[in-house]
Amino acid sequence: MNLILKKDQLNHLLDAWRKDYEVYAPQSLQNYTHFLPLQDGFELAFDKAHNTRIPPKALFLPTSEALLKFTKFGGYEKVPLETAPRIIFGIRPCDAHAMTMLDTVFEQERYTDPHWQARRDATVLVGLGCHVPCHIGFCTTVGSGPFNHAGLDAILTDLGEIFLVETLTEKGERLFTQLETASEEQSIQASKLQQDAAASMPIAFETEGLKEKLDQNFDSPYWEEVSRSCLGCGVCTFLCPTCFCFDIVDEAQRGERVRNWDTCMFRTYSLEASGHNPRPSRVERTRQRLNHKYSYWVDQINQIGCTGCGRCVRYCPVGLDIRAMLRKAHQLPSEVAHV
Amino acid sequence: MHDLDALKAEAKRLLIEGVVDMVIGFKAGDTPLHPQPAFFKTAEEVDQLVYNALCQNNLATYLTRFPKTLKIGMLVRGCENRSVNALVFEGQHPRESLYLIGVPCEGIIDWRKIVEQTGEEVVSVIEQSDNTVLVEAKSGYYTLEKDSLLHESCARCIHPNPVSADIVIGELLPEGDPALARKQVAEFAELSLQERHAWFRQEAERCIRCYACREACPMCYCEECFVDHICPRWTESGTTPAGMQGWHIVRAFHQTGRCTSCGACERACPMDIKMTYLTEKLNDDMRRKYNFEVGLDATTPPPFSTITLDDKSRFVV
Repeated sequence: MNLILKKDQLNHLLDAWRKDYEVYAPQSLQNYTHFLPLQDGFELAFDKAHNTRIPPKALFLPTSEALLKFTKFGGYEKVPLETAPRIIFGIRPCDAHAMTMLDTVFEQERYTDPHWQARRDATVLVGLGCHVPCHIGFCTTVGSGPFNHAGLDAILTDLGEIFLVETLTEKGERLFTQLETASEEQSIQASKLQQDAAASMPIAFETEGLKEKLDQNFDSPYWEEVSRSCLGCGVCTFLCPTCFCFDIVDEAQRGERVRNWDTCMFRTYSLEASGHNPRPSRVERTRQRLNHKYSYWVDQINQIGCTGCGRCVRYCPVGLDIRAMLRKAHQLPSEVAHV
Repeated sequence: MHDLDALKAEAKRLLIEGVVDMVIGFKAGDTPLHPQPAFFKTAEEVDQLVYNALCQNNLATYLTRFPKTLKIGMLVRGCENRSVNALVFEGQHPRESLYLIGVPCEGIIDWRKIVEQTGEEVVSVIEQSDNTVLVEAKSGYYTLEKDSLLHESCARCIHPNPVSADIVIGELLPEGDPALARKQVAEFAELSLQERHAWFRQEAERCIRCYACREACPMCYCEECFVDHICPRWTESGTTPAGMQGWHIVRAFHQTGRCTSCGACERACPMDIKMTYLTEKLNDDMRRKYNFEVGLDATTPPPFSTITLDDKSRFVV
């Protein structure tokens, strides 16, 4: 159902939600924006940037979290799961779409991650569509879009003085019970804005046949070429809304088993206890990063594992641009002679 | 302003005459704000060479990736040249296998400061002779004062000129003011213990431990970094306060007498974390206590790399 939220009522509504929920929204932190819980006298920072610097995946898979506590003498105790109800307000469609992909990792039938699931179940995602799409993002190229509904419980469209609210799930409907229904003109206006926003985004690279190209060129010298200037840091993967790799470490002094973010771009990620490393250099690690998103994820869930948020492009310290890397990959020969 | 044609001609000559096997420089990036480090192996490839104030990486960080027998030509600014000297002193590449093309450096522009004013959709950035930068963006044209865009470490740079290059292309620049370089350290020192601790925590505890600072730093070339050690464990692994503080303080200490103040760590950081206030303090101590500055030549041993039999601390001998 389409509803109308007047902008001058927004803070009032957020405050009302705070009675029953912990409400997270983008707020300024240093020079960037970050999803922080709203406190009295909060100031939203939607104008400052499209996306928060750290993607909201961190609210579900924290950079570090204790999984259990143990003692020297063999005893252990579980760490209680967080289940307080939360609203994430102002999540962009690319980041919300990414959550649905991460669900396929953490909520598999046989292996469900209880921490992830508890936080997901307790959280409502209220999205803000991008009526002026960002320049570096490429969501429409990878099957998402500036008003994509995937993962969202409700989505807002900025119509100047008002937001048009589309509730998409029951969870979302429950948040917007007091609002007026939108008129037909308002719905049409929003729908046109949404279409225009998507249409204004150029296609960054060709995805048709891309997976096949990557599969066929696993041993191509292309990988050496595109990885040459890579520093081997974790910026692209840590800021990526769909990257989810972690490492489990026992912090013996503290008696905690901890889960930390990890990344295929680190040397130690694939280093085995024997000393052997199946991905010994940045060449193999770069190949893993791109192939995982653009080939292996297609195999697994029939979707590209990237929602085009553009963070990796923006913040790569050496200016490596995944869009250009994939354009180049698409130019590779179709069949490589196997020796 | 830089003479790009002269840089290209020299790089080509080196490759054609076989003086070097490869030249490390920059090429145009996929967006105008981000030129990329580039590795040229033929004279034809050198046509892609680009050099401007947005080239934000310290190229010396790539030096330790290549075999010591490889003859490498490298574009070096003041800080890069000093980093190369420090690496040569530490035995990371023989000086005779290097050919340094020196460029006096007018400072690196922080692309984030451009975007703050113009928005993200930047079409071109042109450095003009009157120390301004003309930015064409979708939102319009902007003439910005270059000094206001400089990265902090560049604004306080003391040695902008290459110190031991095989050739210098461009006019040498006046040296920077050491008093200006000291300002950050002095201001930090004036804070109370509590304020300094709060500042340190506020910076360190935004860390996501992506190690971009480490990878961007030419002097961080250890095969195995202390944070990757499992046994013994030197610091906590995660983003706990102890883990983040441990990383930042020990990283800085490992740079004592080695950091060339290039600021590549801060430029690489995705969380805009300040780090040079720590390393600059160590550099300042080195200057005042030992009259030593890193990398001014490749032969003076850094104080902490020197052992004398009459050392007051007996533990080393």
